[in-house]
Amino acid sequence: MKAFANIHPLVEMTYFMSVLIVSMFFSHPVLQTEALIGGILFCAALQGKKAARDIGFYLTLFLMVAVTNPLFSHNGVTPLFFLNGNPVTLEAVLYGVLLAVTVIGVLLWCKAYGEIMTSDKFLYLFGKAIPKLSLVLSMALRFIPAYLRQSRRVSRAQKAMGLYSGKSITDRVKNQARVFIAMISWSLENAMETSASMKARGYGKKGRTNFSLFRFYASDGVLLCLCLLLFMIPIMGAACGITRFTFYPRVDKIETTPAAIVVYAAFGMLALLPFILEVKEAIVWNCYRSKI
Amino acid sequence: MELLQVENLSFRYPKAERDALHQINFSVNAGEFILLCGVSGCGKTTLLRLLKKELAPVGEKSGRILYESKSLNSPEKAGFVQQNPESQIVTDKVWHELAFGLENMGAPTEVIRRRVGEMASFFGIEGWFRRKTDELSGGQKQLLNLASVMVMQPDLLILDEPTGQLDPIAAADFISTLQKINRELGLTILLAEHRLEEVFPIADRVLVLENGSVILDDKPREIGRKLSPCHPMFYAMPSAVRIRQGLETNDPYPLTVREGREFLERNFKGDTQMPTEPKLPEGDTAAELKNVWFRYEKDAPDVLRGVSLKVRCGEVFCILGGNGAGKTTALNVIAGLDRAYRGKVMIGGRTIKDYKGGALYRNNIALLPQNPQTVFVKETVRADLAEISEAMGIPKKEHKNHIEKIAAKLGISNLLDRHPYDLSGGEQQKCALAKVLLSNPKILLLDEPTKGIDAYAKQNLQKILRGLSQNGKAVILVTHDVEFAAEISDRCAFIFDGEILSADTPQKFFAENSFYTTAANRMARGLWKNAVTCEQVIECCRAEGARL
Repeated sequence: MKAFANIHPLVEMTYFMSVLIVSMFFSHPVLQTEALIGGILFCAALQGKKAARDIGFYLTLFLMVAVTNPLFSHNGVTPLFFLNGNPVTLEAVLYGVLLAVTVIGVLLWCKAYGEIMTSDKFLYLFGKAIPKLSLVLSMALRFIPAYLRQSRRVSRAQKAMGLYSGKSITDRVKNQARVFIAMISWSLENAMETSASMKARGYGKKGRTNFSLFRFYASDGVLLCLCLLLFMIPIMGAACGITRFTFYPRVDKIETTPAAIVVYAAFGMLALLPFILEVKEAIVWNCYRSKI
Repeated sequence: MELLQVENLSFRYPKAERDALHQINFSVNAGEFILLCGVSGCGKTTLLRLLKKELAPVGEKSGRILYESKSLNSPEKAGFVQQNPESQIVTDKVWHELAFGLENMGAPTEVIRRRVGEMASFFGIEGWFRRKTDELSGGQKQLLNLASVMVMQPDLLILDEPTGQLDPIAAADFISTLQKINRELGLTILLAEHRLEEVFPIADRVLVLENGSVILDDKPREIGRKLSPCHPMFYAMPSAVRIRQGLETNDPYPLTVREGREFLERNFKGDTQMPTEPKLPEGDTAAELKNVWFRYEKDAPDVLRGVSLKVRCGEVFCILGGNGAGKTTALNVIAGLDRAYRGKVMIGGRTIKDYKGGALYRNNIALLPQNPQTVFVKETVRADLAEISEAMGIPKKEHKNHIEKIAAKLGISNLLDRHPYDLSGGEQQKCALAKVLLSNPKILLLDEPTKGIDAYAKQNLQKILRGLSQNGKAVILVTHDVEFAAEISDRCAFIFDGEILSADTPQKFFAENSFYTTAANRMARGLWKNAVTCEQVIECCRAEGARL
């Protein structure tokens, strides 16, 4: 589960954006199914056994989304049965299922994004555009946990003196307010020392550079090109109208022309790319280990 | 070669009545390790900050500061490390913190990568190079602060009480790292410190500052000889120096435990007996833990495993132990901040659960936390004290009287109208103590009370706590500071792995340990096993004195 996380952030960002754009804006059953399968496999590879814990949540959500659409949307020409005098149509049911696939797929991809694109990668990517921003964000990320810890300490110290430590709402609000005021002084005091430490290390001179630990390897370049290529194919497909798919009034047939197959295959490969990388690495590792 | 020269330096803060620094002259040779000491408020920090142009305070300055005979000073030339490990860290990742100074200098990525890598491996940071700075221990944080100054390759390293907030083990590590930098890289070091036991013997020269003037500037051995035992700084001297000072001999001053031991064994036989032990107070039981178990979360490991202890009124009870042994947790359980999931906590003969609302904290129990700053929430010390007086139900008219009485008792009358954050560590602690004492506790709990305060303030604290215990209050403190525990406690207990291993008088307690004991005891244990404090060793020596 390390292979994808160790790629250069620029490639990772491009990759996530490509997949998310297709899975959010293309409502085509094949592409959506591919995105969902890719998302499931990726999350499983990232989290291992922990991923299994969320299955219940996703299944419930899936059913809820899938059921909601036919209950409220009565378009379509093939009624299955009537509920309170309203038709529940096949088209609406199928569209509901597609919506559910889309929602779960996007959720899973966002989860993977959160696991992979840690704050330092984000800062690295956007810090170049706005040099100050990367430092400010980094300082904020440093400050927040320190603030929370100190605020907990003050709260406990006040509690141990029995000041406003009752369970009533007025006591609690008063206590929060007092702690907050004390924390303002603390923050200012802390900021003074931090700024002394910054000045002592030459902050404020002209020509500051931005350092990062990331390196761009040749393999990152290859992957970036591949990723862009696989992304462009569905986009071209969309431009030619291959990926258009409508449910109402009647569900379209899934296209099986060679061009359509190419689009499906390209996006399928894109969606499965991280999983393929993880599997490849696992196999490589096993080979190494067996040689040892 | 002279690296730094200070000529007739005087400094006065705006609106101050007298100079903070007065006619200071000294010079530092390249490669020297200089120790700067003095009681809080003597001008140490002001002097150090004036030496670093970017941090120089605002005020009237006269005299000259010359670097290599020039008055230039660029940030990479002099590195500066402050006391608080926490607030000096700027960024969220260790590697970023190391790179920060070089980024400011505009160094290209490849240069930064190389220098950061080099320093990380010199300081042994590889293991936590990619960690978040927030997850580090205090000692690691301070080491990171040092390393991130060192990547800039300074000629002079200035440190302002860098070990003040560290526990003794982390502090000793830090000092030995400084020694390594000085020896192996030949870097010039100017260090202000109040914990002198380890650092005093390794310094090349010691400057003693008093009221803004340098009163002594000499080799450590000579300082030991010259410093009068009445000087407040004398308490901060290493135990060997203090013991030697108490005896009439012509031997040179020993500095380390080894030298002290040789000195004692050369001159004494140890055939006298240690004077009898003081009696233990026999008051009522103030607090009692019976087989207490505690963990922070359901699945977390136990922090306390069957802790039992009994503290009587009028007793000073010290809980000693390493980091993470459960000291602070035990204190929090007694204070009712954390609830034991098994076992009983009895306060004043009733279980702690019987105290409803704030009853536990009225006329009963008070906790002084590790960081005294957390006690204050108001703009002045007086407002903070008034707040708790009001909570105690004292009529408004009597507040002033009431507050001034306790202020006089703790010697903080002149601090009442200051902002709590502007006070020094020792002053902050006395004011915080005043605040918790206003709830009129029978049991006073203190968490690491000697952290960040100088030797003089420690003496003061000791007197205050003694006074409280003589008035029948039970004092329970947890500390790393074996010297302090040996001097103040009636009984000491050692906590390890969530269990109390032994509880006994300091004489018996420390006599049983060979490593975890005071420096004075380590020197004298071959002669008098029970002599624990410097005073006791001197007493034993004097009893045998005829041979000298």
